[in-house]
Amino acid sequence: MISGGILVGQYYPVRSFVHSLDPRAKILISIIFMAILFVGNNFYAFAVTGTFAVLAVTLSRIPWKVLIRGLRPIVFIMSFTILLHLFLTPGHAIFQIGPLKATLPGLIQGLFIALRLIILIIFTSLLTLTTSPIELTDGLEDILKPFSRIGVPAHEIAMMMTIALRFIPTLLEEADRIMKAQMARGADFESGNMFQRAKSLVPLLVPLFVSAFRRADELAMAMEARCYRGGEGRTRMRQLSLSAKDYYALGLTIVMSALVVYTRVRFGPVIPRGTV
Amino acid sequence: MPIEVRNLTHTYMKGTTSEVTAISGIDFRVDDGEFIGLIGATGSGKSTLIQHLNGLLRPTAGNVIVDGVDIWSKGVSLKQIRRKIGLVFQYPEQQVFEETVYDDIAFGPRNLGFSQTETEERVKKACTLVGLDRDLLSRSPFELSGGQVRRVAIAGILAIQPKVLILDEPTAGLDPKGRAEILDNIKQLHESGMTVILVSHNMDDVARLCERVMVLDRGKLVADGPAREVFSQREFLESMKLKPPEVTVLMEKLRKRGWAVRNDVLTVEEAHAEIVKELRRKGVAGAV
Repeated sequence: MISGGILVGQYYPVRSFVHSLDPRAKILISIIFMAILFVGNNFYAFAVTGTFAVLAVTLSRIPWKVLIRGLRPIVFIMSFTILLHLFLTPGHAIFQIGPLKATLPGLIQGLFIALRLIILIIFTSLLTLTTSPIELTDGLEDILKPFSRIGVPAHEIAMMMTIALRFIPTLLEEADRIMKAQMARGADFESGNMFQRAKSLVPLLVPLFVSAFRRADELAMAMEARCYRGGEGRTRMRQLSLSAKDYYALGLTIVMSALVVYTRVRFGPVIPRGTV
Repeated sequence: MPIEVRNLTHTYMKGTTSEVTAISGIDFRVDDGEFIGLIGATGSGKSTLIQHLNGLLRPTAGNVIVDGVDIWSKGVSLKQIRRKIGLVFQYPEQQVFEETVYDDIAFGPRNLGFSQTETEERVKKACTLVGLDRDLLSRSPFELSGGQVRRVAIAGILAIQPKVLILDEPTAGLDPKGRAEILDNIKQLHESGMTVILVSHNMDDVARLCERVMVLDRGKLVADGPAREVFSQREFLESMKLKPPEVTVLMEKLRKRGWAVRNDVLTVEEAHAEIVKELRRKGVAGAV
């Protein structure tokens, strides 16, 4: 069954401080955090951002196991980055494999990038783990609303996201069913070379697209039958409201950002310019 | 080619928080030439059960034994099993994908590696079996009516020429005419010697066609016996959220009024005969 596994970053329903924050605050904090992660250019900055991330995870009551599992898909790209940096950064050689020279600055640089990637993934997956898809799109719509003056269709974007998220499990289930129906007719999805495998997907993809379009059509009609006509003047069942804890969280984020900026000014880059 | 199911259990998403046991501890045996109706309320595990019979789902526990061989033992080709046991899914028209009706029906035989002439023969034979007009073969399946596409899809399985045919709600969503035709086709297939397992919500259809009825309730096989026996137990069926066939209900109502009619009739014809007999016995004037 394709839909058998748990999706990485899927909403993890427990009650916690982080879960109870306003989605807008969480989106904003995530954006600030991502930006500030790239402002930090030394390990002191990581001490700050790392502590912040650990604090957030602790407050979210999400088991570390779940977060570590989310890192699995990037293990390859991470090791690849480390290796590239290790061997391609000029500097004093620490060891050599054939023509490849591993350098100390390369090692530091590689570890630095890997660490940044880990913190980035852990923190950003926290957003989707602690916020239900509905809250997330509601929050996104609110954040995008000011931009609707310059033509950003905030409500439509949010509605499309909601619908897309809603239909992921449905389509997975459908794909599973069609796959089995074709297997009952002797279709083979598992063996053969890459070309044969790609070709064997046709009997799965054609019916899947047909049904997705049909569903889209039916959904559009069902929405119109209930007088849906876009976002203008539309009210919400759940009104979002910022409370004291959202301001605390935002305040803490700003303090964290300031600290990172300070480490950048005070200590400079991890590999000082001109030393290599 | 008997199919034997022993202590079959299936748990979806095993090991996660959303673990669901769909069927558990199911035992039965299907012999050649039987016509079995599989009934049960929505979510009772019918679809899960039949997907085990041709190896589309792997049992969490228990065995599926076809022709004396466990289909999950080493060296068994599931493709060969699926060639012997054809499974028509619910709304099978959703699986068509080829440009022409011919190609779609030929998908199965081609997967099994039959030659072009053999494939053509099989497609034509399958068309005859489901009463599909040969002129339609060159058309796109997406241009046909609902009942026609369903027949194309069933023909797609018949072209594999299985010995056992399993159908999951083959008449769901069809108009009365389409439904009668499909059921007629299935009846003929059985008469030509095929073993048939029919999953249905429609008790009238099952009563009219099937010799043996199996009842699933919340993943357990709670009844398995001759149709007559199973359908005469109204209270038992109702406790399973099922309704006996209309004629059986009618007979029971007549019995409550003191009529000496049998309560295990399955078809309108049988009911008619019973009522006429009873009227004659009562000496009602003008009884036919």
